[in-house]
Amino acid sequence: MKRLLSSLVYLFLVFSCAEEQDFDQFDDLSIEPTVASSIFYFESDEETINAFGTGGFYEEVFTFEAFSDPNIADRVIDGTITYQLENTTSKSLGLLIEFLDQDGNVLDSEPFVVDEEPAPLLERQVAYGESGKSLDILRNTTNIRVSGENLGDATSQSSQNEPRIILRSSAAFRVRLR
Amino acid sequence: MRKTVLFLWTVLLGAGISYAQNKQLLYDFYEIPQSLLLNPGVKTPYKWHTGIPFLSGFSVQAGTSGITVNDLFANDGIDFTTKFREKVINGMRKNDEFGGSGTIELFNVGFRRRNRPSDYISFGMYGEGFIAQYWPEDLAVLAFEGNVDNMNRRFSLNHIASQGEAVNVFHFGLNRRLNNKWTIGARAKIYSSVFEFKSANNDGYFVTTQGENNVLRNTLVADVTMRTSGVQEILDILDEDTNTTQADLANLLLRRSLLGGNLGLGFDFGFTRSLGRNSYITASLLDVGFIYHTNAIKNYTLKGAASNEGIEIVLPEDLTNFNNEIWQELVDDIEEQIPFDNNEESYLSLRPIKLNMSFRYNFGEPRERTRNCACGVEPITTSQNIDYVNAVGGQLFMMNRARGPQTALTAFYQRRFGNLLALKTTYTIDKYTFSNIGLGLSLQTGPLNFYILGDNLLGYSNVPDSSYASLQFGFNIISWNGN
Repeated sequence: MKRLLSSLVYLFLVFSCAEEQDFDQFDDLSIEPTVASSIFYFESDEETINAFGTGGFYEEVFTFEAFSDPNIADRVIDGTITYQLENTTSKSLGLLIEFLDQDGNVLDSEPFVVDEEPAPLLERQVAYGESGKSLDILRNTTNIRVSGENLGDATSQSSQNEPRIILRSSAAFRVRLR
Repeated sequence: MRKTVLFLWTVLLGAGISYAQNKQLLYDFYEIPQSLLLNPGVKTPYKWHTGIPFLSGFSVQAGTSGITVNDLFANDGIDFTTKFREKVINGMRKNDEFGGSGTIELFNVGFRRRNRPSDYISFGMYGEGFIAQYWPEDLAVLAFEGNVDNMNRRFSLNHIASQGEAVNVFHFGLNRRLNNKWTIGARAKIYSSVFEFKSANNDGYFVTTQGENNVLRNTLVADVTMRTSGVQEILDILDEDTNTTQADLANLLLRRSLLGGNLGLGFDFGFTRSLGRNSYITASLLDVGFIYHTNAIKNYTLKGAASNEGIEIVLPEDLTNFNNEIWQELVDDIEEQIPFDNNEESYLSLRPIKLNMSFRYNFGEPRERTRNCACGVEPITTSQNIDYVNAVGGQLFMMNRARGPQTALTAFYQRRFGNLLALKTTYTIDKYTFSNIGLGLSLQTGPLNFYILGDNLLGYSNVPDSSYASLQFGFNIISWNGN
């Protein structure tokens, strides 16, 4: 059986032709999609802000391991985090986003100050990778601290319908799948 | 582990070779007893036949649709990622596929009943397998480009379709010539499944849209199932990676081949109907049956729906009862909404039914053989069913597949050169190629019959640029009618 198969394979090779192929090219295949997702959303109404008076009205730390996950951390090439801040309250407000490692050390922070209404939508894009901040900030981030500060008074009320501060954020990163 | 990876690559890349079980060269080529397996109602000009064990029927088929090896791997100096994007990501569609199939006949015996010479009984055993992988077009685009530039595009999970199996078949058939016009036949089959995997009729999508609260909303709706039987046992043995791995694997495959796997039952039907002195039609329906999978089963499911806009903190609601593990909570919620589960539930798999039809017109007067070869077993004469010198006709092949029927249309010319040689050449069009020219020969030397059938011969001018190839060959010992 083996001899017969060998003979047929030999005949096949003798009578068939093949253009030169370079299968090593496969090593050059690069698959680097850009994936995007929302990260976190923060919202507070003006009534709650007023209830805390002037100064800090919110501070909380929560786990965030989206970027420290080895499937992402080992593959991420570069990308951008986009923040959108919208304030319809009657007071100037500050928000601080801090990226913390597992020991609670601050790796990076992103401070925002937004005027009272009618403040325009504040949008900020922060680049990471070769042309921006170090990716290690994200790779080592396991927690995020969000702090909110009332920079105005604690009594005024905006005439807007349901006045509030909203922080939206999303990330778009290029990852190397191959 | 390396062997497991090797096995999976073999399965997945084997799928890179197209799967088409059309055997248009063998169909109605009744000088070859294996044509009975394609139409149990074919003409049977034999007193008896026996295939030479393990050598009576060997076939492999391979090919692709949508791309060839040369498209990607030609040494043309073009950046490989660029070629991959143009030829694969942008060039292939969800109905393009990779696959391969193969058959090896272990034994095949037939004889004419003495007390009822119009009946020809045949039985035997063969193993066959195939792999078919449809191109997951949408998921490939998602993996290659990501979702940023594909906002609002629904990436369909229906594009996931994959199937493969190895099965051993025990068969018993009866061919009966009713009169000068009709020959009918039927074959019963017992299937012993070695392994099977199948993922088809999946549903769902992934889409990125503008968020309701946050910037983006990613939504996954999934109803995806992969059924497997026998695969996990093989992987477990390969994972052992010990000195006995080969022996253990051989024992497992042998046991599952010889009725120790999952069993099934099926039938073939066929007929030949004469339309006059020189023309006739044939048809056959093959593998009308099922396999009931009850052991060594592992099914995987991904079912549910979830949308994600990231972590949400809304005051004043989250001032109290705030969970600092909000990230893990989000991950857990998604996994709960779209659980990736497995189970061992029995299932029924229908066999891939195949339909063959043909019309044939014979012409040219056959001449009587004048010399006996004195070989002990009677050589062929023209006094029985070998009734042509030239024949032309057409054939239709259809097969039910995960994405609807696969169809092939064939025109053929057949020619006999005395009692020694019969040739058949075919031109076939199907989804793989419009230039498939095949050639088959059946050589009779005394009682020994040898046949070899090859498809898509033009492809051999540049094999890597060929999208389809097949080869069949075998040896039989035949005693012909009428001597």
